[in-house]
Amino acid sequence: MVATGVAVEAVVNGLLLGGIYALAALGLSLVFGIMDVVNLAHGHMLMVGAYLAIVLLAATGITPLVGMFLAMGVLFVFGVALQRVLLERVVGEGIEQPIIVLFGLALVLQNVARILLSGDARTADIGIPRGWFDLGFLSFERTVTFVVAVVLVALTWAFLQYTRTGQAIRATAQNPDAARHMGIDTDRIYALTLGVGTALAGAAGALLAMLFPITPFVGWSYLLKTFAVVVLGGVGSVPGTLVGGLVIGVAENLGDLYLGYRNVVSLLIFLVVLLVRPQGLLGTGGEE
Amino acid sequence: MSLLERHPEGSLLADRRLQAAAVVAVLALAAVPLATTEALTGLVLTGLVFVMLGVSWNLLAGYAGQISLGHAAFFGMGAFVAAWLTTPSGAGFPESLQLPVLVAVLVGGLASALVALVLGGIIFRLRGHYFAIGTLALAAVIELVMLDQRSLTGGSTGYYIDSDLGLPGVPVSHGDVVFYLTLAATVATVGVTYSIVRGPGGLAMQAVHDDEDAASSLGVNPLKYKVYAFVVSSFFAGLAGALYGHYTLYINPESTLAVTWTIDTLVVVILGGMGTFVGPLLGAALFVLLDKGLPVALRTVADLFALEGGTSALVDSLSTTVEGVLIILFIIFVPQGLYGLANDYLVTDLTRGGPGEPGTPTEGGPGSDPTAGPEATADGDASVPPREE
Repeated sequence: MVATGVAVEAVVNGLLLGGIYALAALGLSLVFGIMDVVNLAHGHMLMVGAYLAIVLLAATGITPLVGMFLAMGVLFVFGVALQRVLLERVVGEGIEQPIIVLFGLALVLQNVARILLSGDARTADIGIPRGWFDLGFLSFERTVTFVVAVVLVALTWAFLQYTRTGQAIRATAQNPDAARHMGIDTDRIYALTLGVGTALAGAAGALLAMLFPITPFVGWSYLLKTFAVVVLGGVGSVPGTLVGGLVIGVAENLGDLYLGYRNVVSLLIFLVVLLVRPQGLLGTGGEE
Repeated sequence: MSLLERHPEGSLLADRRLQAAAVVAVLALAAVPLATTEALTGLVLTGLVFVMLGVSWNLLAGYAGQISLGHAAFFGMGAFVAAWLTTPSGAGFPESLQLPVLVAVLVGGLASALVALVLGGIIFRLRGHYFAIGTLALAAVIELVMLDQRSLTGGSTGYYIDSDLGLPGVPVSHGDVVFYLTLAATVATVGVTYSIVRGPGGLAMQAVHDDEDAASSLGVNPLKYKVYAFVVSSFFAGLAGALYGHYTLYINPESTLAVTWTIDTLVVVILGGMGTFVGPLLGAALFVLLDKGLPVALRTVADLFALEGGTSALVDSLSTTVEGVLIILFIIFVPQGLYGLANDYLVTDLTRGGPGEPGTPTEGGPGSDPTAGPEATADGDASVPPREE
């Protein structure tokens, strides 16, 4: 039997990790909820964000906590461009084309990363002094990244809830036609949504780079993990995504501890929830 | 019969000359091991495996409209089940279990089909995007579990298959025999899929693809036809995996079950033309050329500029990048693929020539309805997403 202390530590670490999973999944959830497109390249965009932070740190010594903003900016522009240049041509024409475009994009991102950065695992140091911080068994990196992730999730929620643009996004999600009649430029909203979604992936990637080694091949695994969170939390629900992230983070750590399987646990949770309750534990079925 | 006559792809396939071309192609392929080198035989065999993968995935995705991203899992399972049966000792099974290669390979396909049958009832509760990502997750679970079962699959060291089908006394190697088995399996894949697609089952699948609810209200049971397509598709994928494993004589959960096989299958089908029958055949040929030709071309370029290393990993990544770009461009700008391009070109040409043009290779033959040509084109369009809506 595993000692209680170790189990408690696994749960706490799982919660801390789950905050980042929630952030990573939020972008996927928004895009799915609002545009009805599963961004199959989401994990790969996360990988790109992670590498941007890693490369910036290596080149200039700037901490990934700042590099995160670079990753968000670059991926925001990338997301908007992706929507304007490619996806706008195929969205609303059945599901095959968006799925395949994004699948192809994932392939391209993975291989371009491999060409530019080789297949070796890389990781980033947090790059800020930790002397003033001591919380017993809590890891410094995990705690800081958790706080940053949860703040970003809260900001995104507030943005959607309280700004005019956020309201326009939610209106578009509920009924694109009605939104258009109200004078909302839905094409612009879609581009903005994909931009925000991919920027959130970039932020999560920069945070994860401080905790785990990153290779060009991590995209698929993070895609499935974040999708598990989305399914668990319910599509398009910000609080649901946060809860889903925490659950998956804890489940993974406990699965690792007791069963020796880490990735299989989140995949199995994902499949079971998908089959038993496809609208998610807290979800509304993508209405909002 | 009239329904079948007007089937979208009646135009080119029913042409006698095309049937003759198919026979010639099979005969030409049969001559490959006799007339060419071992390496070229292997290359053509790989192409045949991709024909099997492409045609089978196209039945599920192109006709029934279910975008599965888990095709690799069925390919890999077929390979492993067949390997366990020809080389039981590798997985710690008793030697008495050993079966001849031909039987083992068929059982490999059947095992994949059985898994698809069992999973089909569950996984088809997911629709659209959920189905796509559900199959991706399923394939990932299968890969991880198989990788973890070291005693059964050899883990990351892989599994060596002990088999020698070479005929003593005659210059026919093991690879040649597997080549002929693969050729026969490919013909079977194409033949069976063709008869399904041309028959009422194929029409039902397309109905489910175009509008599941409408199909259901007209008495077509969507679940039944989706599972039908899934099981047949998985059988041939498993068969392809089993044969490929017995050609290379070495399989590995990390490569045989890897998502790469799904990606390659997608490239084959999308380049050739999704939801068209001939598409995957063209796509497989083009893909083999790309997959083998691009690295050679890239390596030559790398050598020319004396680029450092020119490593195979780099060249690999570059050619995969090109493939990724190609499927994005094709699915957006040429959703019917090469077949669509060829068909469009031929059909417009002939229509321009007038309905009485002799030698019109459309189903109705010379003098038939002059709209037959354009109609076929429109139907070909509809087999990718319904654009008219």
